[in-house]
Order: sequence, then structure tokens, then C-alpha cells
Amino acid sequence: MIEKDNRPVNLNLLTISLPIIGLSSILHRISGLAVFLSFPLVVWLFSVSLKSEESFIALSNLFQTSFLLQIMTYLILVGFSYHLLAGFKKLLSDAFGVGETLESGRILSWLIFGATFLMAIYFLTVIF
Amino acid sequence: MSAAIPVEQIKTITMSIYRYDPTVDKKPYMQDIVVEIPTDKDIMVLDALHLAKNQEPSLSYRRSCREGVCGSDGMNINGKNGLACVTPLSEVLKRDKITLRPMPGLPVVRDLIVDMKQFFDQLEKVKPYLITKSDTPDIERKQTPEAREELDGLYECILCGCCSTSCPSFWWNPDKFLGPAALLQSWRFIADSRDEATEERLDDLEDAFSLYRCHGIMNCVSVCPKGLNPTEAISNIRNKLLTREKA
Repeated sequence: MIEKDNRPVNLNLLTISLPIIGLSSILHRISGLAVFLSFPLVVWLFSVSLKSEESFIALSNLFQTSFLLQIMTYLILVGFSYHLLAGFKKLLSDAFGVGETLESGRILSWLIFGATFLMAIYFLTVIF
Repeated sequence: MSAAIPVEQIKTITMSIYRYDPTVDKKPYMQDIVVEIPTDKDIMVLDALHLAKNQEPSLSYRRSCREGVCGSDGMNINGKNGLACVTPLSEVLKRDKITLRPMPGLPVVRDLIVDMKQFFDQLEKVKPYLITKSDTPDIERKQTPEAREELDGLYECILCGCCSTSCPSFWWNPDKFLGPAALLQSWRFIADSRDEATEERLDDLEDAFSLYRCHGIMNCVSVCPKGLNPTEAISNIRNKLLTREKA
């Protein structure tokens, strides 16, 4: 019989520092999950837009008026952009070993955050 | 503090330390211990711990060589894993305060002491020793200086556990994911020109968890007190697995 281990474990994530590389890696996973979960909505909106001319116009009107739809689209676009860029970092590391030192990893992580920030501002001007 | 230090060369700091005694405490708690430290020289976190222990004799932590060789005093210093004996207090003091917790993810035996069994179980799995099949030579197994250089950045690991216990993949799967320390050792022997069990070693790593649970978070590289790079070692193993020609 296995005895239950009642000993405490120090795993309070709020007390453990997360360096920038770790943060970018974990956000990559979170954004990936979010994009995956939003996929049915995106496909559904796409199919509605293709159904007929009337439904396309109705949907584009909805985009002009519905703040909820605008904010959702915005978040999906930002999440997708981040996930895409962080994915390139992962590919660079897998294929060429780029970004596997502390310094290069940090620089790449900051570049991803910076580029996502710029794209987020761009989407802001386009959608709202 | 000993009376030998003149009063003007002393300042007080607060050490917030994780306390847990299984015979008394139901739950761990943080205790603030105020200690006096000299200001005319820098001391290590371990020295400050000794001062705290003078006040609280029940305070428990591991230490041995006190110079970053034995790897006993790995702990979480202000949220970041490191060796107390080679971490200067001046680098981690924030407003005269320092917070010490045991290394994350492993069961706490008492105060800052964790049970390293899971860590060493994973190390054992990678067979961290030279495996040879050919006849034993009369004198020694020779290695060129170039082949020996391949082991630089790998053999220096002191198995303190700072890397593996800062790795989220190891926290969630300490029994299945080998962790950065064990994988660094795995690559150390795969990369060794004298080792003759490369294929078997690679076979053992080819499952969803042992190696591939590494997601490149790189906390291991951030915390390694010896400046080693387990992420690179893991990447090297991955490349070796992908490019090998299977018999």
C-alpha cells in the first residue's frame, strides 16, 4: 500500500520569479489554447460571411456596431499574432539552436513582446 | 553576532524564512528573523543563515562545503533558486530584507530541506556513468583533446537541483519528465566519445515525457549556479534523436 505523502511542497507560483524567457514561453502556450478555443467562433463567422451577400453585409454591419464582437476579434488577433511570433522563436530554436543562450533568449523574448505590442496598436486603429 | 564587530559596522536585516517542523506544525509558515550583519564586508546568504540559526537553533538547512562545490544548500532566494553559499547577500537584499524558501516542487522534510528522492530517481534513469562494450584496454580509454572538450559545460554539474526544481515541466511531472539536471547528464554521456551505449540511451528517451516535455522555458539556465545550459543539452539530444538512422 502506498502511503499518502502529507508533506508540504513549496509551490506558490506568486512567490517564484519567472524570467522573461519563461514568461514568453508560458504565454505562448496560453495564447495557443485561447486561439484554439476561439477557432469554432472564427470558422462560424467565416461561414456566415460566405453564405450570401445579405449575410455578409449583415455581419459587417454587426462588426461596426457590436463592441463585444470588436473586442473579441481584437483579442483573437492579438493572441494569434503573439502565438505566431513565439512559434517562430520556437522553430528558430528547434531548427538552428537560436535563442538557447540566456542572452539571445532574452533578446528574442523582448522582440516578440515588442512586435506584438506594435501589432496590438495597429489592430486597435483598424478595428475600433 | 559575536561581540568582536564594532557597533558602527553592523546593520540589521530581516530574514523571512519558510519554517516547517513535521512534528509540531500542521502547515508551513514564514518566520521573520532579524539578524545583525557586518557592513564593512559582503557575506554570503549562507553566512546570514548561520547568524539566523544562532538565534533560532531549530532552523534547519543543508550545507557542507560552503563554496559551491557540494551542491547541498540549493534554496529559493527571493523567488529564484540558487546556492546560498555562493550568493552574495548584497546582491539579493531588498530594502534590508531577504526571503528564503525551500526549492519548489519537492516535498519539504523540514524548513529549507527538501526530499531530493524524485530528483535522484530521475538521474538514475539516465545511467550517469560510462557504459562500454568493447574489451577493456590495458591502460586507459583514450580521448582526444577535442573529444574531451565536448564535455565542457556538462561535467561541471554538481547536482544541486536548482534547475530541475525551477522547471514547471518538472513540477507537474516529476516522475515522468527527467528534468534539466538529469537530461544534462544524459547528454554528458551521449556526447562522450568513450561511451558505447548511445543508441540505448537515445531509445530510453524516446517517449512523450522523458525529454519532450521540455518547452524551452529556460528557467534552468536562468538559475544554474554553475552557469551551465541544460536547454542546449536537451536541444542537442533532440537533434540527435531526429537525425539518427535507426537500425
